Amino acid sequence: MTVDRATDAPRAEDSAVWAEGVHKAYRAGATVTPVLCGVDLAVRRGECVFLAGPSGSGKTTLLSILGCILSADRGRVRVADEELAGLDEPRRAALRRHRIGFVFQRFHLIRGLSVLDNVRVPLVLRAAPPDAARRRALDLLDAVGLADMARSHPRNLSAGQCQRVAIARALVADPPVILADEPTASLDAVSGQETMELFHRLTAQDGKTAVVVTHDPRIFRYADRVFHLDGGRIVRTEQQPSDALACTAGV
Amino acid sequence: MWSLAVHTLIADRGKLLTALVGVIFSIVLVNVQGGLFVGLIRKAGLLVDQGEADIWVGHKRMHNVDFARDVPRRWVHRIRTVPGVRRAEPYLVGFADMTLPSGGFEQVLIVGVDRVSLLGGAWNLTRGSAEAILQTDGVILDECESEKLEHPRMGDVRELNGRRARIVAMSNGIMGFLVTPYVFTTYERAAEYIGKEPDACSYFLVQTEPGADVAQVCAGIRQVAPRLEAFSRNEYSRISIDYWMTRTGLGISFGAATLLGLLVGMIMVAQTLYALVLDRLGEFGTLKAIGATERQVYSILLIQAFIMALVGSILGLGIVSGIQYFYSTPQAPIMVPWGLSLGSCVLVLAICLVSSLLPYYRIRKLDPMMVLQS
Repeated sequence: MTVDRATDAPRAEDSAVWAEGVHKAYRAGATVTPVLCGVDLAVRRGECVFLAGPSGSGKTTLLSILGCILSADRGRVRVADEELAGLDEPRRAALRRHRIGFVFQRFHLIRGLSVLDNVRVPLVLRAAPPDAARRRALDLLDAVGLADMARSHPRNLSAGQCQRVAIARALVADPPVILADEPTASLDAVSGQETMELFHRLTAQDGKTAVVVTHDPRIFRYADRVFHLDGGRIVRTEQQPSDALACTAGV
Repeated sequence: MWSLAVHTLIADRGKLLTALVGVIFSIVLVNVQGGLFVGLIRKAGLLVDQGEADIWVGHKRMHNVDFARDVPRRWVHRIRTVPGVRRAEPYLVGFADMTLPSGGFEQVLIVGVDRVSLLGGAWNLTRGSAEAILQTDGVILDECESEKLEHPRMGDVRELNGRRARIVAMSNGIMGFLVTPYVFTTYERAAEYIGKEPDACSYFLVQTEPGADVAQVCAGIRQVAPRLEAFSRNEYSRISIDYWMTRTGLGISFGAATLLGLLVGMIMVAQTLYALVLDRLGEFGTLKAIGATERQVYSILLIQAFIMALVGSILGLGIVSGIQYFYSTPQAPIMVPWGLSLGSCVLVLAICLVSSLLPYYRIRKLDPMMVLQS
């Protein structure tokens, strides 16, 4: 089902993630390559939205801007009740640390650390008490079905297991917003399916707001809405039927 | 943060080992070079350090215990009148030639001590006794000079400046800064060997009363014998050492070699830390992406540098102890003062911490966006 994005857009105050008129261009010498050309986006609290589109459409750049990793050239961005304009790097890092959880395409686990220690990293960065951090990390590992592999190292895990560890790491500090960049791109079809099931279950049960970049239409059913980007613009917004997941999952 | 730093450090054992080799190399080089230097230079004050005298009195311009100038022996009586002086004895130091069985000769440094008190006499005797010099023509040689003196044995007779000398005792480890072996005998016999007038002597060795203020006694001696100089044991030992330090440039050459070692170690540590970071740019990028502050990232590097410095220093000092135990000889003593060990560890720690700045600079420029692009 396709809807007009303008009529369905929530207000900035009601949104966990909100962007208006976002422009971004990359510069290499005298060459300027526009990537985002006036993107408007509003994601309600607890909503799971996907950013889809062909390569070069600006999905990852938009995700980076929403994740305070890149700055927009123009436009306003608000994430987890924080206006990003004018934030200096330490405050942007603090926002990433406290309010945003990241899931990366290639997991980006730290190879010297055990599974448990990898999951604990965000809590270590927040200077959480070690015992509490350990308990919380173990709970999350239990939730992703890897409690018995807490002492293993990432090199001993399959790609699907690594992504589950990455999901646990993204959720461990209980951030209100989860950003995921192609979380199934490095996985086979079955693992991708399992990972998305898990991702959807864990984010939905805690009321997290999730923004997922993907170009895999097979997983669209896990989204509440899908924003299709092309040429640096949102060209279409697709509202998923409320029972889409239940139907496709065969429940 | 410690756990994060430690685990990521030991995850790459190859590079960790390389860095540790750099630190160990620096520590061993600094301590062994320094130890050899201290051992060598301390020989310059050997007679003073071991002479059992609290005060050394000699010519106004005395500057090196082995190169003494004559002073009138009779002035010993003046010194004995100074309050705080328990004992003052004449002491003679001078060069002579010893004939060797092969027909050659070797220059030696004759040390003549008072025949009653034996103050300033030979120590570390392995054969015979200090009193043996009272025997006719009795002299004491050191075993360590055996090869140079063509393997003298107890009872052997040699000639010193054409006069008969008989070996009545042997010491071990009395080797001075000069290449000339020490030969201990009585004051009178030493005067004969050296060819001194009986009234000439090199020093007066003074022992003070218990509790006496050595500096005050020195001042008292200068007062009663204005043409003499009096130094405490430590002072004169340092003066003798300074003589060689300032006139030979020894300190500079040892220091340069040591600095070079430090530099090589520093480069190894910096290069390894840098390589470690380059290898893990993605991981540092991930940390930055998920919210690590610049301070947290740098603290990881600092902790890793600290661990490398600590572990490397401990291992390095262990190796230094082994080298000292197995290779320190009276000819080439390796004396590593605790201050040198501590100083080298602090220096290496500082170098490691400074070295961590180089990879930090690389990480600072790291764009966390790379995590999303890879």
